[in-house]
Amino acid sequence: MRLSWDPESEAFRAEIAAFLDEHTPEQLRDGRDWIGEEADEVPGWARDWQALLFDSGWMIPAYPPELGGRNATPLQTLVYQEELAARGVPRSVHFGGYGIVGPSLLEFGNEEQRALAPAAIRGDTVWCVGMSEPDAGSDLGSLSTRAELDGDSFVVNGQKVWTSYAEWAERCFLYVRTDPSAPKHKGISVLILDMDTPGVEVRPLRHITGNAEFAEVFLVDAVVPRSNLVGELDNGWRITMGSLAHERGGLWLEGVGYAQRALDGLVTLVRDRGLAADPVVRRRIGELHEEVRSIRALGYKGFASFAQGSSAPEHSYMKLAASELRQRLNEFGMDLQGAYATVTDPELAAQGGRFQAAWQVSLAATIGGGTSEVQRNIVANRVLGLPRG
Amino acid sequence: MVDFALSDEQELLRDTARSMFTRECPPSLVRDACYDVTPDGPATARSFHATHLSEWSALGDGPLVDLALFLEESGVVLAPGPLWVTASWALPLLRAAGHPDADAVAEGTLSATVAVADAAGVWEPGDHDECWFVPHLDQVDRVVFLRSGPSVLVVDADGLDSAPIEALDRTRPLWRVRVPAGTAVPVESGAVRDALDRATVGLAAELVGVGRWLQESTLAYVAEREQFGKPVGSFQGLQWKLVDASLHQERAAAAVAYAAMCVDADDDDRSSAVHVAKAAAGGAARHWARTGLQAHGGIGYTWEHDLHLRLRRAYGGDHLLGDADWHRDQLAGLLLD
Repeated sequence: MRLSWDPESEAFRAEIAAFLDEHTPEQLRDGRDWIGEEADEVPGWARDWQALLFDSGWMIPAYPPELGGRNATPLQTLVYQEELAARGVPRSVHFGGYGIVGPSLLEFGNEEQRALAPAAIRGDTVWCVGMSEPDAGSDLGSLSTRAELDGDSFVVNGQKVWTSYAEWAERCFLYVRTDPSAPKHKGISVLILDMDTPGVEVRPLRHITGNAEFAEVFLVDAVVPRSNLVGELDNGWRITMGSLAHERGGLWLEGVGYAQRALDGLVTLVRDRGLAADPVVRRRIGELHEEVRSIRALGYKGFASFAQGSSAPEHSYMKLAASELRQRLNEFGMDLQGAYATVTDPELAAQGGRFQAAWQVSLAATIGGGTSEVQRNIVANRVLGLPRG
Repeated sequence: MVDFALSDEQELLRDTARSMFTRECPPSLVRDACYDVTPDGPATARSFHATHLSEWSALGDGPLVDLALFLEESGVVLAPGPLWVTASWALPLLRAAGHPDADAVAEGTLSATVAVADAAGVWEPGDHDECWFVPHLDQVDRVVFLRSGPSVLVVDADGLDSAPIEALDRTRPLWRVRVPAGTAVPVESGAVRDALDRATVGLAAELVGVGRWLQESTLAYVAEREQFGKPVGSFQGLQWKLVDASLHQERAAAAVAYAAMCVDADDDDRSSAVHVAKAAAGGAARHWARTGLQAHGGIGYTWEHDLHLRLRRAYGGDHLLGDADWHRDQLAGLLLD
């Protein structure tokens, strides 16, 4: 056990740190935790940023240069994730293409489909991922959007919801049911859908923050060529598990970096509001600091297992821990402002209304990507080995 | 960036400790060493320490990471005797004072405790006439009185004017003792601080072990115990409580290992890491004690079940050297003052 790694890793850190300091777009600086802007298309600066990362080998460092990387080791990948997380800098303003679609195409696609991966990762093609449905949220396996094979094409009917960036997307990585008679996890397939296919309609879905990053996608007799099937027919469930395997050891860093920045903001807020001597406030700050730091330690402990190729049970807790902590941090940031907690005007609210805005966004953190309740069930059954109910 | 991977030597140390404790420290022995339960409790604890633990005192001279690994295992079985206070606290203070008994303590031929708190339970060196909450006084050969200055006064444990404090934890006796006459030797305040950090992280490591026993025993019990025709561990209402306590336990274990690394490296983050470790470990052990008791139902509330021994140690350990809330207040001080 030790507090630092080899000089080579530190040299790697210096390299990515210098790159980020020099090139990070203004819009992503100062830990602004970009939450989505009203825009009809991906903003130009965001496209340029993602392309620059790709061309410089900093998009997915574990990949080879032709896929936006530099063949980084697991340790170097962690260093890279640390530097992004410490600054709160996202690689892209739409996660699906590089985070899910590119890696899944590379793992499960045929040669022609694998050739679509570089553009997905570079952000040249904007993708959305069609998973959730009105009746298939936590229970994703029960999805019912139907794709019927008719000659050389699938005819798709159904509805997707909570589809991020669907308005921007040119293509959709679409989960459909191809065999309704099979057990629910068996009859699922994945199709590549062109968003301009007749019968595809996107309706923006405004969320609590007032932004419309989500959408509903309606599919009425949309025709998809059979050659757009990814992987085998009826065997799409395993593709839901496919994502950035190289980066799984450090995914938690983003949440911990966020929490640390929020805590730093709280400390400033406590001082600015003249509450630094208040014993109740002090106790709460100490408690939150304890949580942030111990959760961070837990993430690194899990990485030690990950780096040795073992499973990292520690990481099963991280999404649950970080998302609930994120809400508590932001809520406390509002509580500290008295009546101003209700004010969202950035000119009037403390720190530009940061906590008011971040609190609203954080409410989604315990729902999206697996609710806290599902996370607890997963830990109970897979980590603690408790009997299934 | 922190590397939590254990070296081969550290894994060997942990495995050796684990198998030694499994072999030599069965629950029946822990019972026999309980105070107020059997008249032979103190003698059993002394004998267990002399036979099996004293040779490990030298860990107090080495990296805190290693000592913490050992103390976690001793916490799992609730090993009797004064190893924690001897190795993690008394030995570094004796070294700081250049005391001639230090070598004998490291070799395991002498054991020692530390007397610092006053009647108010403040763990700061002072000039009070009587020290309180002195652990294991009747099980050790020497007492290190930590006095203002700071300075230390080292005396023979025999013949002191002392009295036991009736205490919650039956496996960790606490005493009050009148400070005897004698000349205290000055020590560096940095060394006193270092020894206190080691004792605090050592105690936190032991609490992680206590939490681990509670977790493992409870998970085994709820998988076995059936009500309404199925194992009670299959009920979601209980599962979520067990998950929350397990998360607390996991982050405590990680925080303790991190703090030990920070102390060994004298890292800038050291003070924060030590407070985080003790707050998390005390909180997690208490969390598991409450959750474990609730999950065991009536059987866990009996004197015969070993759970209450851990419940006592969890709460007793949290309140020694500052409870979780006290450490949180210290963290606030680091951030706000």
